[in-house]
Amino acid sequence: MHSRTSLALAIAIMALSAWGTFSALEWPWKAKLFPLVIGIPLFCLALAEALWVIFGKHDGAAAADFKLTQEQPPEVARRRTLLAAAWTLGFFAMIVLLGFQIAVPLLVFLYLKLQGKEGWLFTIIFTAAVWACFYGLFDLLLHLHFPEGWLFSGFGAS
Amino acid sequence: MGEAFVQGLLLVLQWKPFAFMLLGIGIGFWVGLLPGIGGATTLALMLPFIYNMQPVEAFAFLLGMHSVVATTGDVTSILFGVPGEATTAAIILDGHAMAKKGEAGRALGAALASSLVGALIGAAALALAIPIVRPLVLTFGSPELFMLAIVGLAFIASLSAQGARGMVRGFLAGGLGLFLAMVGQDPQAGVARFTLDTLYLWQGLDLVPVLVGLFAIPEIIDLVVRGTSIAGNAPAGRISQGALEGVKDVFRNFWLTIRCSLIGTFIGITPGLGGAVAQWMAYGHATQSARTPEERKGFGQGDVRGVIGPGAACNSKEGGALIPTIAFGVPGSTSMAILLGGFFLLGLVPGPDMLTKHLPVTFSMVWTIVLANIITVAACFLLLNRLTALTRVQGHLLVPVILVLVFIGSYTSNTSYADIVVTIVFGAVGYFMVVAGWPRSPLVLGLVLGKIAENYLYISVARYDAAWLGRPVVVALLIVAIGVILFPIFQAWRARQRHA
Repeated sequence: MHSRTSLALAIAIMALSAWGTFSALEWPWKAKLFPLVIGIPLFCLALAEALWVIFGKHDGAAAADFKLTQEQPPEVARRRTLLAAAWTLGFFAMIVLLGFQIAVPLLVFLYLKLQGKEGWLFTIIFTAAVWACFYGLFDLLLHLHFPEGWLFSGFGAS
Repeated sequence: MGEAFVQGLLLVLQWKPFAFMLLGIGIGFWVGLLPGIGGATTLALMLPFIYNMQPVEAFAFLLGMHSVVATTGDVTSILFGVPGEATTAAIILDGHAMAKKGEAGRALGAALASSLVGALIGAAALALAIPIVRPLVLTFGSPELFMLAIVGLAFIASLSAQGARGMVRGFLAGGLGLFLAMVGQDPQAGVARFTLDTLYLWQGLDLVPVLVGLFAIPEIIDLVVRGTSIAGNAPAGRISQGALEGVKDVFRNFWLTIRCSLIGTFIGITPGLGGAVAQWMAYGHATQSARTPEERKGFGQGDVRGVIGPGAACNSKEGGALIPTIAFGVPGSTSMAILLGGFFLLGLVPGPDMLTKHLPVTFSMVWTIVLANIITVAACFLLLNRLTALTRVQGHLLVPVILVLVFIGSYTSNTSYADIVVTIVFGAVGYFMVVAGWPRSPLVLGLVLGKIAENYLYISVARYDAAWLGRPVVVALLIVAIGVILFPIFQAWRARQRHA
């Protein structure tokens, strides 16, 4: 997984830098100087990483960065990762279709009920508290404008 | 200078900046305790809220929040062996061992007191560095500033992962950041670069949605995967007992505290290192303070010096890291790279202006670090027994709240759904980088430095042609950059020779 992901990232960067470099060739020198200075070495580095993954013996490079948990079996971790991605994308869909005002309490309610298996009373109180914080802080205090969802505004017409 | 120093304090003590600092401290306090979300992530999440603030208010809020995260992160690390922050991992070795021996109070007392001493030393280093750094910065032109950006990137790329392979990945991430910084209308010729024919990208990639996605989404996924309460079933008990003994330990080992604080400050100043490195170097130094092999064996088993060293270094590095960020626009860490984004959001340009025209604002940052740490340590001592309850928040309660914060934070940067799409895309990029073991901090640094570096490169070439490469400071910085790149390779080669 580790190496395959690294290879995929390297190939994506190779494609990106190649596209960037070729696009830059048509621009005036003021605009293409930096893309060429960055694009060409970036392609070479990505190629080196890809070759390293394909022909290298072992990885041996740990980043000084946040590490994902290893406590769960791989299949459980994979399933929960997909679940997290689904909630994230689902929340985005809710925001676009229903607007922040409805999507925020709906997400909190559904997450606590479906994912957290919380009781009705706690779920309702927690959802109300989060919604009150959201409304109080962003709407009343900061006066941020959140548009209506597409369902209420004729699919992006407003 | 003295006048600006006092003016800085008075600025922070005005009711609005002070209130924002208290709010920041409150948020940082929680963030440090909860391992679910990191200090850099929260800094990124809070960036959209500073748009309408004055610079002093914004920095009181951001720095007040950021400078206390490591302090309260130590609490979770010691009590549960779960690092509250990536920068508070080293303290687990002896701190959690002490907690298991029933000396949690002593360990916490030592960690909090050493954190406070470290923060004060870091802030003093920042204040003292300003008169030294100012004349140096004023002599720097575009070529030197471009090379500084390259040195910063070389540092963070070569040191953010292990070995030659790690360095390649670090540079790849940094290069990707520089590449992404080119998206949008080119400032010199007005060409729309890599905009995918969308109007949204003409202004370039906004820093906030990128940072929020890159850092918050992988942590949210991890929280869902873990599926448990943060602290698990670890016993808590009363922890205030013995806290005073821990404070006394700091003063018994005062010179060790000072030395580890200086290590942290120095690492903070060095671009590309940061808290994760500072804590381990300080821990290593603390173990060296053992006089006999038997004494050294006590480290990892609950030696209070193993708590004092990382505790002091972790907080002193903040003041140090601000020096290159303010003076040169070269952030010393991921958090500083995000803070640098805050400078630009507020219309401030790091460099000579921060040391002349905006000197009181710069000194207000020093005072924010000092005041925020004093307030936090006092609050921690008052709340020691209640703190444990906060680390038992269930993951499923945190996830929706963090998701709401992430999406609102991202959306409010340009009030566009495209911001959220950018957050999701970079969330995926960040997640895959973590899975593949690629460091994310060089990408952030590249993205932040990209526009500045391009501007300085263009001015250097347009004004001096190729002659800018021969300027003495440029040559010196080039040698430093090459040295930074070659040193880890040399180290790896020497290690192989030794094993052979």
